[in-house]
Parts: sequence; C-alpha cells; structure tokens
Amino acid sequence: MDTLSRRRFLALSGGAGVAAAANILSVTDIAEAAITRPLPSGTPILVVITLYGGNDGLNTVVPYTDSLYYSLRPDISYAADKVLPLDSYLALNPAMTGIKNLWDKKKVAIIRGVGYPNSDHSHFSSMAIWQSAERTQTTKSGWLGRWVETQPEDPLLAINLGSVLPPLLVGKKRSGSVLPLGGLITPTGSLARDCSRLSLPSQGESALAARAATSLRNLLNISESVSPVLKAPAPAATDLPTVNGGNAGGDNNLSQQLDVVAKLVSAGAPTRVWAVSLGGFDTHANEANAQSELIGIVSNSVTRFLSQLEPSGRSKDVTVLIYSEFGRRVAANASAGTDHGTSGPVFVIGDRVQGGFYGEQPSLSNLYKGDLAVTTDFRDIYASLLEGVLKTPAGQILNGWKGRITSLLRT
Amino acid sequence: MATLSADQERLAISRLFHRYGFGPKQGEFEKALKSGFEATKKNFLTKPTTAQISADLAPITIDDLGPRPTPGTFANTEYAIKIRSQIKEMTLWWLDQMVTTDYSLNEKLTWFWHGHWATSVEKLNFALPMYKQNLTFRNQALGNFSALSKAMYNDGALQFWLDGQENTAKAPNENLSREFMELFTLGVGRYTEEDVKALARVFTGMQVQRTNGITTFNPRRHDNSAVTLLGTTQVFSAEQAIDQLVGRDDSSRFIYERLWYRFISSTEDMPINLKRDAFAGRDIYAAVSDLVGSQYMYSPQLAMVKSPVEWFVALCRALNITPSTTKNANAILGSLQKLSQLPFAPPNVGGWPAGELWLTSASAQFRLTLSQAILKNTDLADLKRVAPGQRVKYLQDLLGVYQWSKRTSEALNVARNEPERLMLLAINSPEYVVGA
Repeated sequence: MDTLSRRRFLALSGGAGVAAAANILSVTDIAEAAITRPLPSGTPILVVITLYGGNDGLNTVVPYTDSLYYSLRPDISYAADKVLPLDSYLALNPAMTGIKNLWDKKKVAIIRGVGYPNSDHSHFSSMAIWQSAERTQTTKSGWLGRWVETQPEDPLLAINLGSVLPPLLVGKKRSGSVLPLGGLITPTGSLARDCSRLSLPSQGESALAARAATSLRNLLNISESVSPVLKAPAPAATDLPTVNGGNAGGDNNLSQQLDVVAKLVSAGAPTRVWAVSLGGFDTHANEANAQSELIGIVSNSVTRFLSQLEPSGRSKDVTVLIYSEFGRRVAANASAGTDHGTSGPVFVIGDRVQGGFYGEQPSLSNLYKGDLAVTTDFRDIYASLLEGVLKTPAGQILNGWKGRITSLLRT
Repeated sequence: MATLSADQERLAISRLFHRYGFGPKQGEFEKALKSGFEATKKNFLTKPTTAQISADLAPITIDDLGPRPTPGTFANTEYAIKIRSQIKEMTLWWLDQMVTTDYSLNEKLTWFWHGHWATSVEKLNFALPMYKQNLTFRNQALGNFSALSKAMYNDGALQFWLDGQENTAKAPNENLSREFMELFTLGVGRYTEEDVKALARVFTGMQVQRTNGITTFNPRRHDNSAVTLLGTTQVFSAEQAIDQLVGRDDSSRFIYERLWYRFISSTEDMPINLKRDAFAGRDIYAAVSDLVGSQYMYSPQLAMVKSPVEWFVALCRALNITPSTTKNANAILGSLQKLSQLPFAPPNVGGWPAGELWLTSASAQFRLTLSQAILKNTDLADLKRVAPGQRVKYLQDLLGVYQWSKRTSEALNVARNEPERLMLLAINSPEYVVGA
C-alpha cells in the first residue's frame, strides 16, 4: 500500500456513511488551548502509530536461531550476526537500534502473534477491522472514535496528523479531529496588518461571517501567543542514538508528524490521543532494503520522539502503540518479497509499560495455509490500553470484549 | 412575490448568483441590478436542452486505458502515469467548465448531485467512469429525480464505489443498498435494517468494468426471490424498487432537506411545514425554481459559507481566469487538496461538509496562499482603470457582494491604491468567503 492507496483506504473506509465530519484544526487552535487549558501533568497520553501496507513481522522481530526462518526465505532473511538479539530465539531487525535501546531499559512490550480470527488478506478489510475493532464490515466507527464519544465533547481530545481522518478516530456522532501538516506559514508585514484589519469584529454581521473573521485573527495570533511553541526548536533530545554513524534525524514524514506532536504535547495540549502513520510496508518485491529502511524510520522516530518529551516531563505520561494491518506470508515469493499474511508483532512503548514479551510466538513449523497462527487477539491490547492508559472501561467500546494482556502496564 | 426593497433586491440577486450559480462573471451583477431580481431570475432559470448542454462543454477526450500491463514493466509505469494525468486533466476540465459555463444553474446542480451521490476517483482509480457519471449528472441535473436515481443505479462509478459488483445472490453486500436509502433517496432512520437487506438482494447481479464504467447485469448472480421492501412484498426489479423508494413522501422530504442544506442554510433547520408540492412529480427543476422564487432569497440570517471550490470558481469567474490555462494549475489543485475539496474526490460517500468546517485558520491561510499565487499571474487592468476612490464599490459589484461591512470597507480603503493588494483582501474578506 503506497501513499496513494493509503489515501484511497482513508477515503474509502473513513467514508461509508460517516455521520460525524472531522474538525480540521490548525496548530494555532491546539497551541492556544495548550496555553489556556493545558493537560494536567501526569495525565496519560496514547500515541498510535499505524503502519500501512502490512509490515513484515518476521523481519521485524526475527527468529534468528530458527533454521526454518532461513530455509523459508533464503533471499530476504537476516544473518544471525547482524540482528539485535532480545533473547535466544528472537532479535530485532538491524535497523531498530533505537527501540533496542528502549527494550534494554525495559520500556518496550512486544506482543507476539497478534491478529484477528479468520484473517482476511485484503488491506482494506484488514485495516478496517483493526481500526474499527469489529469483524463486520458494516461498522462505521473506529475504536478510538467510540472512546471520544465516552468523553466530554472537546475537538482537541483526539487528533490525527494529516488532513484525512482515519477510520480509527471516527465516531458515530462525534469524531476526532485532523491537523494538516505544513500549515505553519503565517502572514507577516503589511499583509498581517491588512488581515488584522479584516479580522476585526463588525456589528450586526452573521455568526458565520464573524467566524470567518475570527479564523483570520487566529491565524495572526500565531505570531503572538503561539510562536513560543512553534518557533522554538524541537525539544532537545540529548540521548539520540546514531545509525550507521549518522544521526537519527527527522527528514521523513513520520518523524515530522512526531516532531509536531512532541512540540504540542510538551506545550501541554489538552489532547489525550494522537494518531500518526507511515505507509509503504506493502513489500511484495525486493523487500529486504525497503522494509528495513521503513522499520528503521519507525524505530528512530519513536526514540527521538520519546527523548524530545523528556525535558517537559511528559515522556513519563506517553504510551506509544505501533501496529500494522497484517504480517506477511512466511515464505518469500518469487520477487524477493512477501505476500499478504496474517499475524505480526505489536509494540507498546513507554515509561508506563512493563517491558518484555507477551503472547505466544507463532511456530514456523505449524503454519496454516502458509501463514502464521494468530496467538493473541488485537482487541486484548486495545482493551488493556483503554483501561490502563485512557482509564475508560473497555467493555462498552469493544462490544463486551473480555480478553486483556495481563500486566502490560505498570500500575 | 412582494415588492422588494432595494436592499432585498440586492440580497436576492447576490444569493441567486452565488448559491444557484458559481458567482457573477464580470459585469453580470451590475447588469442584474439594473434589470431587477424578477427579470434576472427568469433568465437564470432557463433550463438548457441536452443539445445546449453538450454544446456548452469544453472538449476533453478520456480514453479507456484497458487492462493493466504486467507489473514491473515500462508499459505499466506509463499506464500509471496515464491514470494520474487523466484524473488531473479531468479535474481541471470540470473547474474550467464551472468557470466558463453559460448555464450556471445546471452546472451548480451538477456539482450538487456530485456531492449527493458522492463517488470518489480515489477508489475508482480511473477517470473515465467518473467522467461518464459527470455527464449523467449534467444531463439530468434539472430533470426527474426518479430517472436520475435509476441512472445512478446503472452508473458504473457508483456501483464500483459502493461494491455493487461484490453484491451477489450467494454473498449479498449491503453497501450500495444501505447508502441508497440512507444518503441518496430517503435519509437515515426512514427504513429498517430488514429493508437494507431486502434492497441488497434486489440489487444483486451488477458487474462493472472498472476502466470504463460499463455495467452489465449477470442473471446468475442475481437473487430473484420476493422480498419485503418498505412494507410491500413482491419480486422487485431494481427499477421497481427505486420507484418504491423515490415515490415515498420521505424521499421528497429528504431531497428538500438536502437542497435546503446546500442552497439555503447549513445552520438553520428546514421548517417542518415547508411546502413541497413542486416536487410532487419528482421534478428537480420545479423544486429548485420553487426555492428560487421563495422568501428565502431575501430573508435575513441565512448566511452560507462558500465551499473552497465555490470560492475559487467564483473568483475565477469574476477575474476571467481559466484554471487549466494558468501557470498555476498545479498550485490550484494542490491548494484545493489542502482545503480538502477536490472535484471528483469527496472525502466519503456522505459528500463534503458545509458551513463552519471551512472556516478554520488553516483554511484561511490556504485561501490567502492560493489567491496570492493566482493574483501574481492575473492582469487586473479593469480594476486599475477605476479611480481609486471608486474601487471598493466597484469590487462590491464585480464580486457580487451584498454589502461590505464597515470593518471590511475600512480595510479595503486602506489598500485602494494598490490593486493587487486590494483584490487579495476583497476575495479573502468575511463577506466574500461567507455569503450574506
């Protein structure tokens, strides 16, 4: 699923009859709220990272001492001396040094074999199931959209970075909001003065015209009240790891998204759920380099993000969830890639997380139609995060779902 | 109609141009003020014939691209490029059409129906089916709603968009049938889940050729059993089922609600007792004419926000800019995308939102940026010929604005000696972005 098809997915599945339209926010809206009604320190925050396209789980968490791994994917396996061992059987992809560092500090939970029953190999259906947390296609709300509806109304409660609302945040009547990227240019000089004249209140004008004037005024306010947040350099990240001797820098879209989130979280935005994403994981051909590069981006971006949050003290409040719609087929295909598979590992990262492995590792010798078994239902993770991070009973949001990942979070 | 005051006349004419069309072309508004609302309305309500509609169309050729070449080949890359360029060309074609058309009302209803039967090229991936759907809207925009509904059932783009080709007797898919009732003909809550299932069975058997939108009916995939739809049990053809839906009073109410929401007010509710007699025969033209003749043309407090496309097309019409031929074609499409409104790509089957969702700070900024880019390449010779002291008044008529507020007049007067700056402020003013 490239960027294009990710947009198609969003257009399509965000679609089918969504009742509640997304609020489109500007950074100003959020930064103003961060100043006027900051999130109380110590309030837990959930950051959801969606990997579109189906990340290859076996080349993310690698069974590096299993001979079947090497015989099933001769051209796209990682040698045992290149990977980053977690125990005697599993290791991280060589590009994931950042997450390995966090693992060593016991901040990373890896839940193995995660999926849903009767796997569907379609990107669209699978992603729809993951984002709605429902098996039926008729569901038109996302699991976090339904969470939004359990909370007092606040357009800043749950925000997606990017201009299209993912189904994840769609509620039946109310939804999360979107923050388009790259909208930080504000009028300056004489244009700013002109706009400021145009934005004055005018007696007797309609509520909508007044709203149009206010939107111009808010745009200008960026340079006053909000510049401390936006213009300041990204919070210092002193303990960034380096990759191949270079720095782990932010020149890709995911780290840009997380940079904005880091600034706004540090400033005290009253937002409890952030959604960001990275596409391109649909590695049907010539997989090894592409997937490694992408998962490296994820690892570096997340590490950098958590590090940026440290000066403000918010890093201890943030829990990061990383998932993809499915893993990939165990055996490589004829194009040195892999086709759509079933289960894969899910990462939950943060100070509040009890680091370690959860769920059973699916066996390579016991495949079902060439695919890994699903050993953990994805809803177990959602339920644990709803209750452990968002402090909301999961039953009403997940249709009475009973499963949990025991002791995933510190109490 | 009661005799209107000069202010009411001006308001009614401004609403006529901006809501039932895409804004006045240069000189049109002034001329309309002279001839008065009644005469302008009569002229505006001219319903074009099919021949006139096709003569009004800018030429465009969109080929059927046929089957996709083998992945990884050069031909496949070319094919992918062709897909993108067709979509781009088609999008600019429609924007051009909105700007240049002589039949504003028909064009505006074409746009209305696109937002109503909202289908996106993002899923279709091919331009041709979307283009054909657009021609259907165009030819039936002011026709009969029952006929339009049947044409849309047979439309390849809509069928594919809502998984009609997946809907078979063995495995019914309810996507199309649900939206047909919820979003297209009745409105939510005016049918039951059982009706959705029943209609899905009636609708089984359609197949779509994705590259060209040609639909065929496959009897082997069709469920021909009797169903109970909205209280009637029989074997329905799709056409009979659509007649059953569209014939209901709920359908008349729903279409009036949608017209109200897009043409009169997205914030005030439609009066529950609004007369809907004009739509008794499901004649769209009669219903729209009825609204254009109503008090809602000049009654206060019914401000409407221009959506990004409406705002952009209106300024192109006033400034005589043809989008595809400017140096800014890419900037235009990019900005409309940032503003979340590209023709042929509605966000979902519910169409675009309306009202204050378009009034965020981010939208304000994107409008400013786009207008700066356009004005850089636009000759404002006519404005320059007007004496500076007259320019603010001149722009009020050129743009078809009801009234500048004191605030906006003052802001514009400060800039009156600099035509480009003056125009930039006028088209980004609250009075232009939001119509009185």
